[in-house]
Amino acid sequence: MAHWFHRNPLKATAPVSFNFYGVAGSPAANKICNDLRTTRARLLEMFTDVTCSPEIMKNATDAYFSLLQGFISSLDGTTQENKMRFIQNFKWTDTLQGNIPSAQQDAVFELVSMAFNVALWYTKFASRLAGKENITEAEAKDVHRSLKVAAGIFKNLKEVHIPRLITPAEKGRDLETRAIDAYIIQCQAEAQEVTIARAIELKHNATLIAALAFETANFYQKANQTLNTLEPECSSKWRKYFLLKQHFYIAYAYCYYGQTLLASDKCGEAIRALQEAEKCYSCAEDQCKEYRQTKGPGTTAKPSEQLFFLKLGGVIKNTLEKCQRENGFIYFHKVPAEAPLLELKASYGLAEPIPFELPPLSEQCSAEVYATFDLTKGAKNDKAKPKEEEVRPMKEPDLKPQKDTGCVVS
Amino acid sequence: PSIPEGIPSDSKTNKDGVLVDEFGLPQIPAT
Repeated sequence: MAHWFHRNPLKATAPVSFNFYGVAGSPAANKICNDLRTTRARLLEMFTDVTCSPEIMKNATDAYFSLLQGFISSLDGTTQENKMRFIQNFKWTDTLQGNIPSAQQDAVFELVSMAFNVALWYTKFASRLAGKENITEAEAKDVHRSLKVAAGIFKNLKEVHIPRLITPAEKGRDLETRAIDAYIIQCQAEAQEVTIARAIELKHNATLIAALAFETANFYQKANQTLNTLEPECSSKWRKYFLLKQHFYIAYAYCYYGQTLLASDKCGEAIRALQEAEKCYSCAEDQCKEYRQTKGPGTTAKPSEQLFFLKLGGVIKNTLEKCQRENGFIYFHKVPAEAPLLELKASYGLAEPIPFELPPLSEQCSAEVYATFDLTKGAKNDKAKPKEEEVRPMKEPDLKPQKDTGCVVS
Repeated sequence: PSIPEGIPSDSKTNKDGVLVDEFGLPQIPAT
């Protein structure tokens, strides 16, 4: 399944030194600043390290966030804002906006932007793993889980942390509702894709597969609609990916729904469902071409070259031929003009985001140490002026396509 | 803390009480 999933680029950021000269008025306060710098730099390195596992990523994330919260949570027992929250400027690019960064002097902006990248990393890890040859059941579980973890992070940011920002996100930026909603839905839909592949592999019944495929198609439709008011130059490629996946899974739903109709002796309707599957499949093929030709951010997936895509074409063709044969011999049903309505509800396999929780505050960030940060000292010092740091794009590892095995996940 | 019952496994039940795997699919495929 290499090149099966569309991935937007990681967010890039400028280095942050956390040098507050004078403000950090104790060795313990200085240590917090040093540790913030090193844990941040390490986490950034992990984003582009191909050997990084979810466990390493979690440890690196916890190490940084447990300290960063010392600049966000209330540490002096009052309900007032943490005095350190607005001391440092942070710059981050957005996944759909090229290399033009947004900047906010707010530790919550840093928390949200970094966590967003952690979520993106999980989606990229899932994509890399799904592209492996002979994927094992354990690896399929990791793909499925990573996508649900990513969905949980995006959801938590949207519901809990983004509303705390003083400056709301501008149009088309990652932290605005439309973009983040599209990411949440994409993660859930892709996790369900893994489940559909598994359901087929384990020969679950056609009703179950049809319902899950139909709900997954609806997810992709919703993600596409979510982005329809964004600038086309930044969103049209991503939207075309959603559209092709929507039609692909409607084709899946009709194909398997047709099988259930045949099983209940509704051969005419089954033929019509399979014909509709054929139409949607051909539509998905055209949209794959359009998607590949559309310029926009992100790596270009090649779904129409994958066995999982190609196989469906064969299944539709064979099932339709079987229905037509049986209709000619046994049923003699009239094929309806209208395709049957898909009103299917999935009872199994819907992917729910895994709730994301921040790590506990680092023990280093005690009230006593917090008291030794003195904002009045830093203001007098010229060195405290923020140095303009450059934002360099992330050098992401290439997704190396491997021999496709047709998405065997069990 | 109470003593855990049984052996930890991937199995859990969905809202209808059906035993499902980590993907939320029934443990026993009903083809």
